Amino acid sequence: MDVEGLKAIGAALAIGLGALGPGIGIGIIGGKAMEAMGRNPEAAGNIRTNMILGIVFAEAVAIYALVIALLLKFV
Amino acid sequence: MLKKLFTVRNLVILLLVVALFVVSGLLGLKVPPPEVSLAAEPVLHIGGFAVTNALLTAWIVMIILVVAALITTRHYPKDLDNAKNSDLVPSGFSNFVEWMVEGFYGFSESVAGKWVTKFFPIIMTIFLFIVVSNWIGLIPGVGTIGLLEHPASGAEGFAAKGAILTAQPAASGAEGFILVPFLRAPSTDLNFTVALALVAVFMAQYFGVAAQKLGYFKKFLDLSGFKQGAFMGVIQLFVGVLELISELARIISYSFRLFGNIFAGEVLLAVLAFLIPYVVSLPFLGLELFVGFIQAFVFMMLALVFFTLSTIRHGEEEHH
Repeated sequence: MDVEGLKAIGAALAIGLGALGPGIGIGIIGGKAMEAMGRNPEAAGNIRTNMILGIVFAEAVAIYALVIALLLKFV
Repeated sequence: MLKKLFTVRNLVILLLVVALFVVSGLLGLKVPPPEVSLAAEPVLHIGGFAVTNALLTAWIVMIILVVAALITTRHYPKDLDNAKNSDLVPSGFSNFVEWMVEGFYGFSESVAGKWVTKFFPIIMTIFLFIVVSNWIGLIPGVGTIGLLEHPASGAEGFAAKGAILTAQPAASGAEGFILVPFLRAPSTDLNFTVALALVAVFMAQYFGVAAQKLGYFKKFLDLSGFKQGAFMGVIQLFVGVLELISELARIISYSFRLFGNIFAGEVLLAVLAFLIPYVVSLPFLGLELFVGFIQAFVFMMLALVFFTLSTIRHGEEEHH
């Protein structure tokens, strides 16, 4: 197998595995936020902004994986 | 509801789309698969300074924002003291902008409290600049119209039919072409996002110093732990180092979050357009509109939260 092919596999694995954790995390955050909104609909606005903030921090991990994938693919 | 869609205008648009489809099919024009380039390409040179397509688009975004601001404030009376009530009522575009800015101001106030007057101009500018930068990449023609240039040595070029790049590889001997777009969404250039991230992180330090003077740097170098023994002192020093690292890591996470999301979105759109043309791209264009807004909002909100955190004295949040 040539180096280019190995690089492509490495990039795919980096973002593919790196997206697993944040995916689970964002799912939990979203689910819990929906639960909270269902229990307390008046606080929906506040919960939504905090949910987005939480999602962003979970997503940052996926972004790091994306950076690695981009570095492998293009640099 | 459905009947409203059958207007003359919509029919003309539909016919035009179908006509484009037929004409491009008849001419047998096939464009090459999208060339994904991580760095922005220079399109024009002013003196010795290479202007990249992302920088050019950033200037266009600035012009759009300035013109929008002028249009918004055009109807405002010069002399506010003697203005009639009816002159102050906004309408149309002004009304929309005022509604939007007021909404964001209310939200910022709920987070930042009394600091909102200091924070709001910066974060709102960041938000508007980013959201227009994200959306400008979704306009048809941005990224697809450009100069035909010879590729760097080693790269594969394509044959051009008139001004249109075709999918055929260049004939042996003749040099092929690649497309260098005139315009490119600024957020898909890392320089743009790093610049904004540096501004956001630097302003957080500035507001920290403005709020608590030199006491702000106690966060990074905390010697008060030595009062409770050497062990606690070393731990406090280490916590300070961690604070410094987290401050620097913010530059990376700010910039790569925006860049990664928008760049990945553009690549996704380009790839989808070649996998299943015309139809499947449409819902993803809607998704990218949403992502562009959310990422701008997230950048703004993180800047707001970090500004606010840096104005609060360290350790204060634990015992109040």
